[in-house]
Amino acid sequence: MADWQIAMIMMIGYLVIALIVGVMAGRGHDKNSLDEFTVAGGGLGLVVMWFLMGGAVFSAFSFLGAPGWAFSKGAPALYILTYTAFAILPWYIIGPKIGKIGRKFNIYTVAGFMKKRYGGKTLPILIGVIALLASIQYLATQMKGMAYIFNIMTEGRIPLWLGALLAYGIVVVYVATGGLRAAAWSDVFQGLLMIIISWVVGLAIVNQIHGSVGEMFTNLVRDNPQFLEIGNEGSTMSGTAYTTTILVSLIGFLMWPHLFSKSYASNARTIKKTVLVYPIFALFLIPLLFVGFSAVNVVNPADVGAPDEILPYLITTVLSLPGWVYGLVGAGALAAAMSTADAITHSASLEFTDGVIKNMKPDLPDKTTLFLMRAGVFVVGGLAYVITVFGGQGLIALLLGAYGSIVQFAPGVYGALYSKKVTGPAVITGLIVGTFVNYYYQLVAETTPFDIHAGILGLICNLIIVIAISAFSQQKSGEMAEKYRNIG
Amino acid sequence: MSKSRFTALYCISLGIPFLLLIFPLFSIGNRATPVVMGMPFSVFWVIMWIIITFLIVLALYRIDPDKDEEEAN
Repeated sequence: MADWQIAMIMMIGYLVIALIVGVMAGRGHDKNSLDEFTVAGGGLGLVVMWFLMGGAVFSAFSFLGAPGWAFSKGAPALYILTYTAFAILPWYIIGPKIGKIGRKFNIYTVAGFMKKRYGGKTLPILIGVIALLASIQYLATQMKGMAYIFNIMTEGRIPLWLGALLAYGIVVVYVATGGLRAAAWSDVFQGLLMIIISWVVGLAIVNQIHGSVGEMFTNLVRDNPQFLEIGNEGSTMSGTAYTTTILVSLIGFLMWPHLFSKSYASNARTIKKTVLVYPIFALFLIPLLFVGFSAVNVVNPADVGAPDEILPYLITTVLSLPGWVYGLVGAGALAAAMSTADAITHSASLEFTDGVIKNMKPDLPDKTTLFLMRAGVFVVGGLAYVITVFGGQGLIALLLGAYGSIVQFAPGVYGALYSKKVTGPAVITGLIVGTFVNYYYQLVAETTPFDIHAGILGLICNLIIVIAISAFSQQKSGEMAEKYRNIG
Repeated sequence: MSKSRFTALYCISLGIPFLLLIFPLFSIGNRATPVVMGMPFSVFWVIMWIIITFLIVLALYRIDPDKDEEEAN
């Protein structure tokens, strides 16, 4: 049997198991409960929660992008480790507090959290729309990863549109039926799979090309030492760019609705223990970086289509590995992309329903809301699919802008948690200006001042505006501000 | 220990390793040589501080006054 046939059989086998795990997880729980669908009844345990948070980080980006960064940029790829290890840490403090606020006021989204504290309809609608666009962008990246891996591992026999449809179709089915619990249990299965694969296959590749990790780096240090430093002459990234990239990823991380809302799905103790064991996830990424380093001076960058293709390229072209390794890597990459896609599809549907639809048309009964959220999973999935396969340039620019805007939720969220002075109009203006500044520097301007990340520039403007307007505007939700601050 | 003191301790003791991993303090670790445990110094530096951070969080959890709190609702 040819290598691609073995790979295809293994990947399809993986998809079948993923579907069964996902659908089975949702069984035995109340299918008609809004609470179950949105936050799994608030009762997810430690192992499941850990993989749910970890699976969301271990995405197509870490599987394909991390080796790509190490291969093309060198030391700046370390930012991925630093941000993965640290981004979760604030959750230890804010997670339990958000969870208590959510249970007290019956909230399950970011939009709902902001609406309750700041009042009005503008803010939740704004958040719902930004979250939807940003999620679609995120999903499109994952789906491209899935489609691409299917394509290359079967040596071009499964076209991109079909690969994306197969893998993502399964995600949509189990999320729509089982809600958060299905996503969570699938992530346990998928998380284990990709951790094992990245270590086994990653280290095997390094050893086959260089003999050992030590030998690889000794050669690299001798031949291009600047490649392993940041911001020095001959390095690929400036110190400011490196630092602000870490900062923006770190602040933005918990603002993503699919992670923020997990605060509602668990009690304080589980949240704290999740944070406790989380930095280990950063260490799991190490062999993937090593794979990227191993290709430097071995593979000519011009031969690889894009840096992100380096891992599959090594496996299929440089090394003559057996077909079952194709299949394993294919399954691992699919698992990485799917475990991110499921949580995001789920939360995008929740945010849009709760933020936009419920504010345009209040007084929906729970049953209708649940139906809308379930239907929303298909709508979000369909939109993301169509954009991935047929997307035009203008649309992609819009989505990229939204993707960078998630971090602009931060002043409003932290203001709600710790200040009674911050007001609704201040947060709305800050969010709009911050989004606009980010958008301008990310997509219009050629360079940014001092090489600072566009998101951080937006955040600085956002913060100044929130502080200034809060000082001059009247607090209309004083009572709620007091309650938010005092909980926890 | 009160809750607010714990929060302050948490932020400070985890802020320090973080600052060592971004500029300007990252300059200390930002060099290719020496090779430590088979890795360039910059790579070793980042991994070392992540492991130390992990140990700090474990220690913090042990002294957290609220770690076993049962919720009132």
